[in-house]
Amino acid sequence: MEATPQVDESPPIPREDREVRSRGTRAARRFAPLAVLIALLSAVGAIEPSFLSHYALNVLADESSVILILATGQTVVILLGGIDLSMAAVASLASVLIALALPATGPGGLVGVLALTTLIGGVQGLIHARAQVPSFIVTLAGLGVWSGLALTVAPTTIPVAAGYSAVGWLEHNSVGIPNSFSVALAALVGLAVTLRRLPLGRYIYAIGMAERAALFSGIRVGRVKILGFALAGLFSGLAGIAMVARNSSGSPTIADSLLLPSIAAVVIGGTSITGGVGGLGRTLIGALTITVLRVGFATIGLEPAYEPIAYGILVMAAVALTIDRSKAQIVK
Amino acid sequence: MPATVGLELRSWAPLLALIVSCVGFGLAAPGFATVENLWTIADRSAIPLILAVGTTFIILQGSIDLSIEGVMAASSLTFAMCVLNNRTGLDLGLFSLVLATCAGAGLGLLTGLVTACLRVPSFMVTLGVWSASMGIAMLLSGDQPPLIKDPMLRALGLGRSLAVPNLFLVAVAVVLLGYILQSYTRFGRYSMVIGGGEDMARLLGLPVDGYKVLAFAFGGLLSGLGGALESARIGLGHVDVGAGQMFATITAVVIGGTSLGGGRGGVLQSALGTLTLAVLTNGMIFVGISPYAQKSVQGALILLAALVTTWPLRSRLRIVK
Amino acid sequence: MTEPVLHVEKLSKSFAGVRALDDVSLDVRPREVLGLVGENGAGKSTLLKVLAGVLRADRGRIIVRGMPVSPVNVVAAAAAGIGIVFQEQAVLPNVTVAENILLGHERPALRAGFYDWPRLYALAAAQLDKLGAKISPSAPTATLSFAERQMVEIARALAIEERTRHEPIILFDEPTSMLDANGTETVLEQIERLRRRASVVFVSHRLDEVLRVSDRVCVMVNGRCVATRDRAMCNVADLQRLMLGRELDAKYQRQPLSAHGPKVRLSVRALGRRNSYHGVSFELHAGEVLGISELAGSGVQSLCRTLFGAERADTGEIVLDGRSVRLREPADAVGLGIGYVPAERRLEGIVGGFGVRENMTLAHLDEIRRGPFIHLAGERQVVKSWIERMRIRTPTVDAPAHDLSGGNQQKVVLAKWLVGRKLKVLILDHPSRGLDVGAKAELFALIREFARAGLGVLLVADTVEEVMALSDSIIVMKDGVVSGRFPASAAKPSRLQILERMV
Repeated sequence: MEATPQVDESPPIPREDREVRSRGTRAARRFAPLAVLIALLSAVGAIEPSFLSHYALNVLADESSVILILATGQTVVILLGGIDLSMAAVASLASVLIALALPATGPGGLVGVLALTTLIGGVQGLIHARAQVPSFIVTLAGLGVWSGLALTVAPTTIPVAAGYSAVGWLEHNSVGIPNSFSVALAALVGLAVTLRRLPLGRYIYAIGMAERAALFSGIRVGRVKILGFALAGLFSGLAGIAMVARNSSGSPTIADSLLLPSIAAVVIGGTSITGGVGGLGRTLIGALTITVLRVGFATIGLEPAYEPIAYGILVMAAVALTIDRSKAQIVK
Repeated sequence: MPATVGLELRSWAPLLALIVSCVGFGLAAPGFATVENLWTIADRSAIPLILAVGTTFIILQGSIDLSIEGVMAASSLTFAMCVLNNRTGLDLGLFSLVLATCAGAGLGLLTGLVTACLRVPSFMVTLGVWSASMGIAMLLSGDQPPLIKDPMLRALGLGRSLAVPNLFLVAVAVVLLGYILQSYTRFGRYSMVIGGGEDMARLLGLPVDGYKVLAFAFGGLLSGLGGALESARIGLGHVDVGAGQMFATITAVVIGGTSLGGGRGGVLQSALGTLTLAVLTNGMIFVGISPYAQKSVQGALILLAALVTTWPLRSRLRIVK
Repeated sequence: MTEPVLHVEKLSKSFAGVRALDDVSLDVRPREVLGLVGENGAGKSTLLKVLAGVLRADRGRIIVRGMPVSPVNVVAAAAAGIGIVFQEQAVLPNVTVAENILLGHERPALRAGFYDWPRLYALAAAQLDKLGAKISPSAPTATLSFAERQMVEIARALAIEERTRHEPIILFDEPTSMLDANGTETVLEQIERLRRRASVVFVSHRLDEVLRVSDRVCVMVNGRCVATRDRAMCNVADLQRLMLGRELDAKYQRQPLSAHGPKVRLSVRALGRRNSYHGVSFELHAGEVLGISELAGSGVQSLCRTLFGAERADTGEIVLDGRSVRLREPADAVGLGIGYVPAERRLEGIVGGFGVRENMTLAHLDEIRRGPFIHLAGERQVVKSWIERMRIRTPTVDAPAHDLSGGNQQKVVLAKWLVGRKLKVLILDHPSRGLDVGAKAELFALIREFARAGLGVLLVADTVEEVMALSDSIIVMKDGVVSGRFPASAAKPSRLQILERMV
């Protein structure tokens, strides 16, 4: 007989009653992240009023852009029910390649690097979908491979020798708002609209919520997964561009410290790690929350060491609160 | 003696790989096959061996531990600040080792409780604990990493007894302990059961959650021990004491034949994989391969091992996230 | 009459409003083998699971040797002396045989917390000896054959004896359905041996086997034990008659057969899949409802999934509208016009968190598009009209599907396929499972209505009544092969004729 168990009148390990989601918990899940963000802003603003000035908020927006880009790509993967641990490494690799390419190729090099990172993501998605290797293993391996590659290509920081103007405009403001933030926000909104209006969006949610039912509805699950991971790769590349713009250089470890915050941004926003629930709007709130934490800590004079502690606790708490326990009977 | 080692060719592959690597590098690079180099390899593999033992039980159960580096950092700082050092006035000697190890165990306990009781996937929890313990280490380290001045402990870290590096002796003892636990206690055998069929284990009433917590606590304990011993070797407490170990440990465990899906493998296999990886690492330097490429090689090995495990299980209806 | 060792009194169990066990009462005498037979959905497996502690009954009493027991879990049931051998293999392949047999009860073989392996092996060997099985306790379970693993499972159930000091009650849930002739022989011999030291309840759909080893046979219909016969006083035919139960419900009366067209929609030729089914051939015409009657283990679900592209056949050919097709994944099948309503509605049929609208259009979103975008207004219209047409009761168009009743959920799943403009074949896998009588009737009326429109419908039914009420032609499958055919052109078969080919 096949690996799938015999269909029987009753499940061998019964889920006796469907989980009853009261309206209260549903509302809490929707509005809690926003409430937390507002509370944080208020708290920091109360301690240090200059935090809420136009200038400071601009700094905030600028600081959030890289994490926002990374979190956007990660959201798609998490909605599918997987995770991409390689995004930061790919972003670092991208930054190195861009720093090397800009003097020679100008803006064209950017397109080339983006194509490469998208391809990387697609290949990881292909291995996950076709070889049926869990996404965290594939992307964990990818983390090693791409990080090692970046280090081999460029063991140290590479300043942008020429051609910086191709990306430098990101560091300017337009209409009083940092370009980097506008671009990140535009990318997020663009993706969100795409997901909502295209069948692809529904397919992604369906796969995250009930993959078997999605498969049995004729959705090409493999292709959607490959596309999702390719999107993550694309956004890794975009994050690399943003980082080169900010630092005027590329480095093989530049994004390493951003992996957990970007995952935290998705999860704190309320997107469930088991998939199918959440979305890009939530990620925006999550990314802003993470950035407020970061910048806020510095503003009120807390030691920077508290940042990783806060991320760690927040991530665990957010996942614990948003995980769909009825779905994952066995959690490893 | 439990018959845990299968009779398939697959279980001989890691040993073959080790032998082939040794022979290969010995032929390719003249400096490789000397006694002195072999002791260097042994010394370099001591801490990874200790880490591998702890990680093995977690992986046998089907979970994963990404927090090794953070726990090592926290315990390293704890250790360095408790022994005779240049920052605090403490001089607790060997007891510092106990304290640091307990710190690791405590972090592991936390991980286990969140995973088992709150039902959060282990990769998520250990990512969080990695971050949080790094932060704790950074707090303790402050501006100036504490330098270790206790001569006895430095001798432990650097010295040799009868030409064998001390740390390697400790590692061998830990591997032995791990083997005994795995083959002769319920902790070990039930970890196999949990990895091979957790739902069946729960159905039959086994205290699965308790053993999961125990596995993480044990892993944290050994990570703590590893962090402290590494500090003794390098002479200071530092947040980067465990840099690269998470990857290297998972790679080692996996190429030794312990499957990331759980239920297969064991302490001896992980030890074998660790030694193989140490040989590979050492040999590659002799042959002139950049140390940066090591990380890529490790990543590729993890993927390869995962492919070997999951390829035969493929089916159209199998759901993998 | 001797005091029964196990007395079940008015046990009831419902799942989502459907009665799986309906005031079941029966007795098991000491050292007897009680056979338990019945159609799909009769409640046999549910009863065993309640007794073994896997499920909990809603009402009723279980009395073992005169003392009431409440098996809230498997451990409690084992403490009461009840052990079960599952239908699916429940041994762990990655540990030794001895560990499987004594799982959870190793204490007698532990010294200060450490395993005394020789002692563990000896304890396990004692259990294996009871069965006369030549299996080494130290062998890794993965190296054992299917039948040997079954032995290990039986040994584990028998080990209960060591702990309770009484003879155990061992429940067998379809132990032979996946074994070959040799394996079956071995299991049946074991059951006969067990009679000397235990009481046994033996569930199987193979009536000849049941009659061979049982002392008495209890027939279950619709969650009740309707008759108990001594082995000497009945034969297979008697049991079949009893299994069919009451007269056909008027709602299921079959419509007069309208001739379907000669056009062959789906032709299946010698389809085979290892360990599931083989040599399956049939033809499905446009406008025809082809019913498949089967009992668990006949490979029909695998067959349906193969026709939908969710499993791969090893041999044979699938021909759709005259063209041979290769289905690599369900999306291929859907693209060609094949739809599938799966048996596990809640997990495989609907996406619970999606609304009715999103569920209904999920399979055919490319037909409701304007350019690359979903045409939301058009979608709403289509969905509204189908909700009306099928009388789906839902508060709003976007109400989450998991809030609907089972019957309405199933209608949504059906609509999902009917929405498509080029649907050719619809495969229904136990579509009425878990639905109450009213919902079943509605569903069947809908199926009949839409079948007439030129679809080919393949229906795997839960009961013989259903098959007869809905189908134009009928195929019977047993143990992976087609064991009977009743084409539409021939005379209408009797229920008995169908049943005797199923068992």
